Amino acid sequence: MSASDDGSSSPRSQLCSQVFGDLLDSIIVDAASECHRIARLGLDRNLEEEEEELRLSAQARVADPSSSSDGNSKNMVDIFGQTHPAIASEIFDCMNCGRPIVAGRFAPHLEKCMGKGRKARQKTTRSTTMAQSRNSRGSPISVYAPYSTANSINRVPNGGSSASAEYKDYAFDEP
Amino acid sequence: MASRRNPSFNNPKPCPHLSSYREKHGLSGYESLQKSLRSSPSGRTVLSRLQSTNPTCSSCPNTSIGRLYFCLICSSISCPSHAASHSLSFPGHDISVDVERAELFCLSCADQVYDPDFDSAVVAAAAKILHPPLRRRRRKPLLMLLPPPVAMSSFRGIRTALRHPWGLRGLNNLGNTCFMNSVLQALLHTPPLRNYFLGDHHKRDVCRQRRRRRGALAVAGGGEGPCLACVVEGVFLDVFSGDRKPYSPARFLYSWWKHSSNLSGYEQQDAHEFFISILDKIHDKELSGFNSKGIVDCHCIAHSVFSGILRSDITCTVCGFTSTTYDPCVDIPVDLETVYNTDKSASPADKTRLSTLAGSLDLFTRPEKLGSDQKLYCQNCRVKQESVKQMSIRRLPLVLCFHVKRFAHSVIRRTSKKLDQYMQFPFSLDMTPYLSSSIIRNRFGNRIFAFEGDESDLSGEISSEFEVFAVVTHSGRLDSGHYVTYLRLRNQWYKCDDAWITEVREEVVRALQGYMIYYVQKVLYHRSGEERVIPGTGCF
Repeated sequence: MSASDDGSSSPRSQLCSQVFGDLLDSIIVDAASECHRIARLGLDRNLEEEEEELRLSAQARVADPSSSSDGNSKNMVDIFGQTHPAIASEIFDCMNCGRPIVAGRFAPHLEKCMGKGRKARQKTTRSTTMAQSRNSRGSPISVYAPYSTANSINRVPNGGSSASAEYKDYAFDEP
Repeated sequence: MASRRNPSFNNPKPCPHLSSYREKHGLSGYESLQKSLRSSPSGRTVLSRLQSTNPTCSSCPNTSIGRLYFCLICSSISCPSHAASHSLSFPGHDISVDVERAELFCLSCADQVYDPDFDSAVVAAAAKILHPPLRRRRRKPLLMLLPPPVAMSSFRGIRTALRHPWGLRGLNNLGNTCFMNSVLQALLHTPPLRNYFLGDHHKRDVCRQRRRRRGALAVAGGGEGPCLACVVEGVFLDVFSGDRKPYSPARFLYSWWKHSSNLSGYEQQDAHEFFISILDKIHDKELSGFNSKGIVDCHCIAHSVFSGILRSDITCTVCGFTSTTYDPCVDIPVDLETVYNTDKSASPADKTRLSTLAGSLDLFTRPEKLGSDQKLYCQNCRVKQESVKQMSIRRLPLVLCFHVKRFAHSVIRRTSKKLDQYMQFPFSLDMTPYLSSSIIRNRFGNRIFAFEGDESDLSGEISSEFEVFAVVTHSGRLDSGHYVTYLRLRNQWYKCDDAWITEVREEVVRALQGYMIYYVQKVLYHRSGEERVIPGTGCF
């Protein structure tokens, strides 16, 4: 069992080896017994399927390391054979004020138009959002809490396309 | 002693020795053992009698620890070496109990065997619980979530429909609104949601009447207008109209802002927050209520589709008392596993540690020892004690949304950064290991026993097998980035980048860094792929 080949086979070290051996045996049988039960009762996870998924993902990553899908696809033809300008050019009337607005500039227009301007907005600082949510696993404690989300510290701001550089008045703050 | 057999187990066929033991002795042997079952410090059930000496093998008294088998007939103890000889010397003495593990062991077969009644006895003794009564399950009307009837009056003729999936249409970016477009694409192709809205299940007339009843509630700015679900229905009808020109969700944006308080507005640029906000606004308070267990249960379309129930168990480390709470959730937060890549020069094939969704779910459902500064009140001890917390999924929703937490916030430095770490996610996902039934059963040694929390999970109405259908990705930095959604329709993946829809290979999607990953129950996924064509019209 243990490599006590330094010649000392005193009854004491023999006893130590034996005890160690018994303990190790016990641990091994613990694991074996658990796995035996899981396998016999059909509780084991479908390892074959899981491994197949892992293999396919690994293959995919090797084949496509730099997500070439993020390349500039804005100039190409879509599956319906259409091309589109970087800023959406469709024109429609604003629901608030009635003026005709270009689609690609509709949101900034609407924001001002509806008075949801940034001056009106009260910023929630990061310290308040982080302070609210400490335990990030799952939902709040009370059974009667309304449908609140897990927590709100995880925000990825910006919905911009590459054309967003144009909107100088929309230099968004970091959250 | 009646035991409730759990249908999801294989009930293993007993070996002939176990069968004959059961015929002769029934349950008497098990029952007499119950008083000798104890909990070891590790939480496992062991067989131990309060004697002055430790149990030893009757044939070789020197072996004191290790595997010992306690014969159910004559109570003699054998070690593995002498186990077989015991059953040979005493015919009929085949069935024994592994002392350390409270498992049945057949001395003749030299193998561990299983008997649901034995497990029941062990669990009953160990957990000191009575058999829970089987609860009747309430069948939810799922009819509205099936694909809509084939003839649809609002349907205009499509010519290219047969070549491309129904409802595949670009969304114009209205000015930094890709956070909205990405989620809209996912929702537009969420099978039960799509079927609901296209099947005309949201009654606009009822909405109008209700609003009239409530009176014109004037929010600053003059009323809210139609409810957001009505507007969403409008979006569905427009996107699925057959027109393939990119659609501008302007009216939707307007209505969403109308329904948001003045303080929110443009600030919600996070796709996940937008998702939560939309569900909240489509949610109908009037359909909410409590189910028989006192858990909030809402039948509005948003919650029927996305809401699951999480179970949280807090176990006192001192007395073992467990208190359980249930909370609804509309998505599951996923923490990225920390992967330590110490050897940067290693090729991808060598890196054995990979961050996976399964691994993160294991993390989510692992028992977590709460710090000594987080002592919780134990009802049994009547003081605050150190506790162990464990989460599990009590009920799965029809559609699972995983929200990958790709952010690290440093409180000290008051900075955040985005985590671009890759996380593997499967296309087919089995959620069984994360269900409350699995987690709790595992806690009790995987005994064959119908634990509380079993019934609803495994009756077959809501299965645990899911298929991915939408992946929302975010690329770029925390303060400047872009959202793109990948949709899986008729087993082909499409990249939806605002107005630009292109086909992509499956490998591209597997290699993505998902931010929000949507899965739908396998049954609903396959059913939604069956698109029938009305002969002669070219319509679906």
